[in-house]
Amino acid sequence: MTKQSPKIGVYGFTGCAGDQLMILNCEDQLVDIFGATEVRSFVMAKSDNHEGELDVAFVEGSISTDEQLRRVKEIRERSKVLIAIGTCACHGGPQAMKLGEGKFDEMYKKVYGNAKITLAKAFEAQPVDAFVKVDMYIPGCPIDKTEFLTAVAKLVAGRHPYLYKFPVCTECKWRENECILYNGKFCAGPLTKAGCGAICPSHNIPCVGCWGPTDDLNVSAEYDLLKEKGYKPEEIIQKIKKFGGAKVAQIVGELEKKKKEAKA
Amino acid sequence: MMILKMKKEDLPAFLDSVKEWGELWGPVKKGEKVTYAKVDALSQMDLKATRTIIPPKKFLYPQRFTMFDFDQDGYVERKGDVPKRILFGIHPCDIHGILIMDKLFLENYKDPYYAERREKTLILGHSCIPDDKCMCIATNTDFIAEGFDLFFTDLKMFYLVWVGSTKGHDLVRMRPDLFSRDLDKNDILNYTEYRKWKTAQFKSNVDFTGMPDVFELGYNSPVWDQLGDKCLSCGQCTMVCPTCNCYNQVDEVELGSLEGTRDRFWDSCMFREYSLVAGGHNFRDKRADRLRLWYTHKLQAYIGEFGKPACVGCGRCVATCPVDINVVTVSTALKEQEVGK
Amino acid sequence: MKKMCVVLDDREVQDNPFQPDMWRIVRKYPLTGDVNFFQARPVDVDEALKFNFVPGQFIMMSVMGEGEAPFCVSSSPSRPGLLEFCIRKMGTMTESLFALKENQTLGIRGPYGNGFPIEKMEGKDIMIVGGGMGVAPLRSLLLYILDNRDKFGNVTYLHGARTPGDMLFREEFLQLKERDDLRCLLTVDKDDTGMWKDKIGVVTTLFKDLGPIDAKNTVAAVCGPPIMYKFVMDYVVKLGIPKHQILMTLERRMKCGVGKCGHCAIEYLYTCIDGPVFSWWDVIHMKELIGRGANDKTIA
Ligand SMILES: Cc1cc2nc3c(=O)[nH]c(=O)nc-3n(C[C@H](O)[C@H](O)[C@H](O)COP(=O)(O)OP(=O)(O)OC[C@H]3O[C@@H](n4cnc5c(N)ncnc54)[C@H](O)[C@@H]3O)c2cc1C
Ligand code: SF4
Ligand code: SF4
Ligand code: SF4
Ligand code: SF4
Ligand code: FES
Repeated sequence: MTKQSPKIGVYGFTGCAGDQLMILNCEDQLVDIFGATEVRSFVMAKSDNHEGELDVAFVEGSISTDEQLRRVKEIRERSKVLIAIGTCACHGGPQAMKLGEGKFDEMYKKVYGNAKITLAKAFEAQPVDAFVKVDMYIPGCPIDKTEFLTAVAKLVAGRHPYLYKFPVCTECKWRENECILYNGKFCAGPLTKAGCGAICPSHNIPCVGCWGPTDDLNVSAEYDLLKEKGYKPEEIIQKIKKFGGAKVAQIVGELEKKKKEAKA
Repeated sequence: MMILKMKKEDLPAFLDSVKEWGELWGPVKKGEKVTYAKVDALSQMDLKATRTIIPPKKFLYPQRFTMFDFDQDGYVERKGDVPKRILFGIHPCDIHGILIMDKLFLENYKDPYYAERREKTLILGHSCIPDDKCMCIATNTDFIAEGFDLFFTDLKMFYLVWVGSTKGHDLVRMRPDLFSRDLDKNDILNYTEYRKWKTAQFKSNVDFTGMPDVFELGYNSPVWDQLGDKCLSCGQCTMVCPTCNCYNQVDEVELGSLEGTRDRFWDSCMFREYSLVAGGHNFRDKRADRLRLWYTHKLQAYIGEFGKPACVGCGRCVATCPVDINVVTVSTALKEQEVGK
Repeated sequence: MKKMCVVLDDREVQDNPFQPDMWRIVRKYPLTGDVNFFQARPVDVDEALKFNFVPGQFIMMSVMGEGEAPFCVSSSPSRPGLLEFCIRKMGTMTESLFALKENQTLGIRGPYGNGFPIEKMEGKDIMIVGGGMGVAPLRSLLLYILDNRDKFGNVTYLHGARTPGDMLFREEFLQLKERDDLRCLLTVDKDDTGMWKDKIGVVTTLFKDLGPIDAKNTVAAVCGPPIMYKFVMDYVVKLGIPKHQILMTLERRMKCGVGKCGHCAIEYLYTCIDGPVFSWWDVIHMKELIGRGANDKTIA
């Protein structure tokens, strides 16, 4: 490469730091990342952190305090490209819905650790793009190693990363799973962006939507279907709420309206 | 075409012998459903199964694969990493599906990736018993005369084995002792009896005659909007349909270099992005428009061009769509101008 | 349409129709704010004269690591050896393409599509109407016709742009006005510079200056943004030019260019193989060609 290696920074806000951990978990490739880029700042990985101009800033977590807001604005100002990583940064994550419990499948527990969010909340947690322009979103809870690394590789090469825009169901069918939803049980696959490789349905666990909403979702159809299958409206809304964050909050609002209409 | 006879108890030995040519794959249970998987012996297969979740198209153009490796000097075709496979237990509808794919991928700009896999995949068909979702009788794909290497028709006591290609013949020659050409009057009677019996098994009475006209007449029908409201845009129908071929492609690079791969992966016209062009104009922004394209392709446009539908009646869309949108419900809705429950 | 395939078949048959060949950017400069001109030649110089195409055909262009996108050839096959493109920056692929410099390489495969039915157009009067990016394929056609001037009757070229600054190949077309074997009528919607000496008004205003034409013996080629078709077609049809002699190129999302990926399908046609050039007759008989939508009840 004739080009200078890009300067990158990795920053964490309100979240569980699971995405940063995921990056650190890319053991084999971590060396390559540090080799192909100039990592200016990555508090979890190294101690000599310099600030200054960045080519790419990866931002994890949602924004929930004045101090964070000031800092994310400052990072934005000195970064050419700002990428939200993880569902919290992309969509607000569970804390944006004030669910606070952050409870999800056992499978991720070990990656997540026991990070409890105890920061004083100056305001309700919101996704990064509620405050600054986000150039790209790499969702996931935590992010998928392969999806993250292919995106980084492209950025380093000066190209645009490509992430699947279709829902989890497509990857789920690629892996030939029996459809949980077809069998009458809740699954958030049709509402959720692909990228995880449909790991949950592949283990016969319904998708809870941790990759955040896909760009063309039909929540109302899923709602009607689940109701027809015997789910109570409150239960459906509760399930859909679980991971969605800000974007889904709006959708849920529509569903509540639909629920009321049905009653009337 | 040559038809041979084989004792049923000889099948395991035959399949054991052909493994010398390549990997043996067959229908295997996966939960309540079935999938084609690599097996060692016939005993692992589930020959009673009707349809697999994904049709055998996954062998001929996989869900995602690499077309090219590239570096500064250019693109180099990726080939040679395709194993030789023998697929046992493919049903007539799916072989008809492969014939439709052959037309698309092998004629008029031959696709070398499909061609290589087709070349290295032997199709050993097997007769089947239709269930309530099978409708190959309505699409005229309930029997098959070409597209396979061997085809086994189960006549209870023995198999009639159609030899459909020289490669199929080569397999037979690996174990000539297991086949005979002594076909007599009873075999003919048995076979005609079998055909009648199979035809009587169909439970679905869907009728696709006249569909091209119904589609034309129903182009502006509100039925499309009603179906569009129900559709989840999940893309499952496309992934499971043996005659859906759409794909997308993407370049990926190695970290720290401009070397990488150009990959191809399955796409669906049910997705919003599918018809989106630069500048944001979308030719099929509404779900209704996308559904109409899908079903027009299956039941109108293809008939107009080739005289038969692009639906082979496998019933997978019926067994897959969570909201019950499939060839049966859509054609019925169009004909009756009402979306059923 | 079928006839054009013969041209394709004459080419050396390539084993892998998806295989891009490497081309080198010879020249690259801006035509307008967001449109660049690219001139390229094959890295393997021996290949240069083998690339045979028809005006209106397109190629699939690759930027390594970014992907592929379809672009019309803007140069004429009568001037072989180099290909020229005029390309607007629209998104990911074009952004990376614009970042390439002269002497760097890109991938090209093709040509694809039917192209303009040149042979059928010979001996006829030709009317070309262009606007916006529609000029890309039309320039190829126009240059081809001018290079084979004796094979065609009267030639009229109508071109509209928003402002003088937006007019692609402005200097080139202004020069064409000097020629006496061609009527070149140019207009801009508005001019804030005060430098524009020619007509001001939308492209349809040029039809007033047209004078009598031999409609039945005229082939029209119209390319431009969708909004332009809406207005221009009315005028062209009113002139009395038969519908199958009015040609236009259509845009669809394309991933393969060879009828495999499905993206460009319209009813039973593939825009990449059966198009991108269609006649007005095709368009009014196929519901989805210009996306007239479900509620269009007109019987054109
Ligand atoms: C036959 C044909 C000829 C064309 N000729 C020209 C030309 O001469 N000059 C010019 O500037 N543009 C032309 N275009 C449009 C050009 O292909 C798009 O502007 C380009 O694909 C945008 O890619 P992008 O990645 O920058 O945009 P994005 O919006 O980022 O697109 C992403 C992907 O979508 C696909 N895509 C987006 N828009 C289109 C489209 N309109 N057609 C096909 N695929 C699309 C591309 O494959 C691309 O990889 C032509 C299109 C077609 C179909
Ligand atoms: S199991 Fe879930 S993710 Fe998989 S196809 Fe069904 S709804 Fe989609
Ligand atoms: S299947 Fe759903 S819940 Fe599971 S990892 Fe993927 S997006 Fe998250
Ligand atoms: S028709 Fe059914 S399977 Fe197909 S995209 Fe719509 S909901 Fe999914
Ligand atoms: S449309 Fe349905 S029944 Fe017909 S071939 Fe496709 S999946 Fe099978
Ligand atoms: S571009 Fe792939 S089918 Fe036309």
